[in-house]
Amino acid sequence: MITRYFPADALTKVVASLADERRVLIPVTQPAVKKSVIFAPFSAGMTVELHKASVAPKEAVLPQCETLLTYSKQKDAEDPSKVNLVLDDKPQAQPTIVFGCRPCDARGFAVLDRPYLDGPFIDPYYQARRKQLIVITQTCPSVGTTCFCHWVGSGPNSTTGSDIMLTAIDGGYVLEAVTEKGEALLAGMKLEDGAPFMDKAKTARGTVEAQLAPAPDLTQAQEKIAARFNDNTFWEEQTAQCLSCGACTYMCPTCYCFNITDEGDGVCKAGRRLRTWDTCMSPLFTREASGHNARMSKAQRMKNRISHKFSTYPENWGGEFSCNGCGRCINNCPVNLDIRAIVLAAINEKGA
Amino acid sequence: MAESIKTTKATGTAKKAAAKAAPKKSVAKSAAKKTSAQAATKTAEKPKTAAAAASTASPVIKEKAQAPAVHKAAQSPAVKEQAVAPAVATAAKAPAAQPAMEAAAAQPIPAKAAAQPAHNSPVAEATATPKAAAPKGRTSLKEISARPMKAGNPYTPMAATVKEVIQETGTIKTIRVVLDDPEQMAAFHYEPGQVGQLSVFGAGESTFVINTPPSCKEYLQFSVMLTGEVTNAIHKLSAGDKVGVRAPLGNFFPYEQWKGKNVVFVGGGIGMAPIRTIMLHMLEHKQDYGTISLLYGARSPRDMAFSYELESWMQNPDLDCTLCIDAPFEGWPHKVGLIPNVLTEMNPSPNNCVAVLCGPPIMIKFTVQALEKLGFTPENIVTTLEKRMKCGIGICGRCNIGGKYVCVDGPVFTWAELKELPPDM
Amino acid sequence: MSVLAGKELRIVGFLCNWCSYGGADTAGVARATQPTDLRIVRVPCSGRIDPLFILRALLHGADGVLVSGCHPGDCHYAEGNYYARRRLEILKQFLPVLGIDPRRFEYTWISASEGQRWQLAVTKFTQQIHELGAAPAFENAEKLIQIADMALTALRPLGTGQHAALADLKKAIVEKLPELDCVIGWQQSYDAAHSAPLFMRKPEDVEKLVWGPLNVNNLATYLPQYKGKKVGIVVKGCDSRSVTQLLQEGLINRDDVVVFSMPCEGTLDMARINQALGAYQHIDKVAYDEAGVSITADGKEHRFCMVEYAQGKCYSCATPGAVLADVRLGTPTPVTGTPATPPELALLDSMSLSERFAFWHTQMERCIRCYACRNACPMCVCRDYCVAESRDPHWLTQEDTATEKFFFQTIHALHLAGRCTGCGECQRACPVGIPILALRQQIARAVAQTFEGYRPGMNAKATPPLMGFTVEENNIKEKDWNK
Repeated sequence: MITRYFPADALTKVVASLADERRVLIPVTQPAVKKSVIFAPFSAGMTVELHKASVAPKEAVLPQCETLLTYSKQKDAEDPSKVNLVLDDKPQAQPTIVFGCRPCDARGFAVLDRPYLDGPFIDPYYQARRKQLIVITQTCPSVGTTCFCHWVGSGPNSTTGSDIMLTAIDGGYVLEAVTEKGEALLAGMKLEDGAPFMDKAKTARGTVEAQLAPAPDLTQAQEKIAARFNDNTFWEEQTAQCLSCGACTYMCPTCYCFNITDEGDGVCKAGRRLRTWDTCMSPLFTREASGHNARMSKAQRMKNRISHKFSTYPENWGGEFSCNGCGRCINNCPVNLDIRAIVLAAINEKGA
Repeated sequence: MAESIKTTKATGTAKKAAAKAAPKKSVAKSAAKKTSAQAATKTAEKPKTAAAAASTASPVIKEKAQAPAVHKAAQSPAVKEQAVAPAVATAAKAPAAQPAMEAAAAQPIPAKAAAQPAHNSPVAEATATPKAAAPKGRTSLKEISARPMKAGNPYTPMAATVKEVIQETGTIKTIRVVLDDPEQMAAFHYEPGQVGQLSVFGAGESTFVINTPPSCKEYLQFSVMLTGEVTNAIHKLSAGDKVGVRAPLGNFFPYEQWKGKNVVFVGGGIGMAPIRTIMLHMLEHKQDYGTISLLYGARSPRDMAFSYELESWMQNPDLDCTLCIDAPFEGWPHKVGLIPNVLTEMNPSPNNCVAVLCGPPIMIKFTVQALEKLGFTPENIVTTLEKRMKCGIGICGRCNIGGKYVCVDGPVFTWAELKELPPDM
Repeated sequence: MSVLAGKELRIVGFLCNWCSYGGADTAGVARATQPTDLRIVRVPCSGRIDPLFILRALLHGADGVLVSGCHPGDCHYAEGNYYARRRLEILKQFLPVLGIDPRRFEYTWISASEGQRWQLAVTKFTQQIHELGAAPAFENAEKLIQIADMALTALRPLGTGQHAALADLKKAIVEKLPELDCVIGWQQSYDAAHSAPLFMRKPEDVEKLVWGPLNVNNLATYLPQYKGKKVGIVVKGCDSRSVTQLLQEGLINRDDVVVFSMPCEGTLDMARINQALGAYQHIDKVAYDEAGVSITADGKEHRFCMVEYAQGKCYSCATPGAVLADVRLGTPTPVTGTPATPPELALLDSMSLSERFAFWHTQMERCIRCYACRNACPMCVCRDYCVAESRDPHWLTQEDTATEKFFFQTIHALHLAGRCTGCGECQRACPVGIPILALRQQIARAVAQTFEGYRPGMNAKATPPLMGFTVEENNIKEKDWNK
């Protein structure tokens, strides 16, 4: 596989050169008393800094809000008594690079691909964006207090979902293609060959790898959490803190639930059908028009979220967890609810 | 149905490719022609059929490549012909995989990538992460039963026009719609029990069972109870109004497996709608079945939908029809009592018999208890579920019960299947 | 094409059916000349006018909004306009913090016979709007980044509460526990530098209880969901104001809540702490002293002095002790002086109207609509039925425009008028750090100025100002159209 190297001070220049032809999403620090880092398109004048983002870059394939279709009712040109319904369902997509996400973020794309591309139906909107997406992932330079990627099958150097891996070494960065898409991109970049720097990159990766605390064994999680399903007391106790907001799910690189709503013009002539992020933690998520709600209590909703990530998603999609261990749901939670603690509690006591 | 299956055989390749690649009708047509020109000579002789098939919800049969799924499919009526001619399945499968592979080319196919970490790259060597969960062998498609499926962009409704609105009861209206494209309408094929998403643009869409039997080619019928925003908008429709239809979605009643058996239908209130479609379908093929009986209950005579049909059902020699209401009502000549009680009184024999029920959750609960007391096994009790749905295609995350999604794994389940699922309804 | 096209501005009028609509009619019948920019929406009573009608109009392209009802004392429904008067006045004082010129909104009283007065009002108001010109569109606001200065002086010495009677508190909780469903307190969270709410059900749970400046959560948020059950709650001074406010509104029953309190010496601003700690893998040590906390992470020691790193609200806190409590341990430090303007609000005060518009637009763009602000708020009690997600009424679309997101924040702030105790949980909960507290602070300031220094959550028996009225309002002046 092709490798490339560039010196540390060329980072912004390299991103700028990529941005000539495509939208390049980079982590951008939002200045505030409480800073946050959000993926935003690179534009001239920006300086690239590769911080771990507060919000996962899933926006690149699944925007917070998108138009699924627009509709309009138009009078027939020939026969004015007739009205024709005109629908436009063309996906909005553009060639995009996600630059400098972390392996946990990149693995999110792989998790999303299964239901959106490998299921009984292919989601054309997702597919249009995914096809044009190149993911350049920074191998993690450090391990955080809420990180647990190595519990769930990922790791600070995992390549799942990435096209190119970027590793910071002393004085520069090494790029290494891991897919053909990545290889094609790297081949076109006029940068120094990375081969002489690969040893250094491997050392850097190994250093981080060595910092990881031993991971608990989650091999039985799928069955054990399924076996926990009816233990209401357990879920109620684990969920007491939860405020039922959507911070955990919206920050998550693997959460993909959505809502579909129509926004008309008020006179039923034209309008849009929107798809927006939705959260299974909201009581409204499953409330039916009749008032019936399958997941009325927050314990039921948390049970669904944890089960989906560790039990039912693996059940449907080949045993993989739909959790990447990025820890965002823990450190962005207004009450510091810890998903690791819930999963461990679910599989350690009683259980299957 | 046989006719449309033939269509599948002839144009399977073209249609599948077009369906995946092109949501827009015009594009679909050209794509269908192009592919057919390349792939099959027969198709070129029938350009009209191919085009129609490519742009409509004609029977796209999703076929599982794996052995157990084929076995499943063989039991199911829609693919009976396919089982005879397995080449069809393969033909349809190959081009379908094409776009998926294109998408996958640049990214590791998830489960595989996990099994053999990313192409032996040095990065992978450094990644000495313990594997949390062993892959379970299956790498891609979620398994679903064979069925007719909506082609093209699964989110895009077909434009349709309201043909007729029937006020069934104070809160239930039946809407008959016709697809605007006559070719689409002619090619539209579904199985009894499959659902559709009915759109009123500006308000949104909701899921309803298509309650006409598949033999009805003039219109699609939905019966809608007034409950929320969308149903409110539906109730305001009148003939000539434009709506959207995304159909067919979901699985259907396994009537092929019921051949030679007796069937007891139990419908409560609006739950009569899905019962109607399968019952009428089976009455059309009465020679294949044993006795067919119906118990239809509602709160009062005023709450009975399809009242204009009840007389003919009562008169039908092929149908043993019982009607009941919850409380006595002046002039009511039929039974009075709650459905489970009336059913117990009817005392149907569980021998070689399937019970099919639909109605409000509370009715289901007690009717199942009554049926089990009568000796029906969970495998022979079949129901169809209703859940809040948005996407209808197994993604949006609303309608799941445990790992099963009502919109793709259902809505039809046997009681035995439901007992396996968490009680999260 | 109308000859007036391009000359007219978009002015919306909300007129009460009984007086002002009649007044406008009278003016019309008398053929009184009037400008034609105004589009009238007739409402049954000025009391029917939700301030959100006006805000939505202003955020979605109206250049001006005029509200007119019956003269106070003449309401067809006896009291509707008395309530309206208070609401509309608070709204008018709220608009500037958003960056909307308050002159774009006026309310007035015109009776059905006052055709001439109507003519005067509509002429003068239209003139006023034309002088201001077309309203700037929020979506077109430029980018502006400014950060509040958190260097503040506290009204009392801040500390870390290390001499608090935690052991006594635990004993008191264990004693009361048998009669309670649970007692809500704080525990250590995923590491020693973070805390999380604790639900004590068994005596051994009480062991996990911690007390100190990391206890940032306002636990009163949980109380309404336990209505009907008997629960205990451990409070800081500020939290007790939320409990009081919930009692005041009948959202919890006094008999069902046992309040445990210890004097609070201040809490830490976790946003700044986390930033200073940066990415770390492990907390080695957390050491408290009188003046602050030393946190050692991955071998590196970080020092956080309370005077520097307390939450903004703690500097101006005048209630270190609980407003109400059943079990009270310890004596709070006395408070002297008057609180300064909170830092977030001071920042906005220093800006021009257009800068505020730009500031909010820049901030709101990154909102992800997770509603953590709403769900963390102890006074946001309609949660499951919030207008944010309602389709009927359809206040908000699900679009991710800054306008929609900002409109939600204004709804939240307005619904908290006279109820918000300034606990700051909304802002603390925001995962992307939007300083939304400033909006609530502006409303609180307007309420205090208009209603004789009223502070929510101080007295469980008081009537919230926007749920009542007086026939003569001391601090609300009627618009004089002759000026």
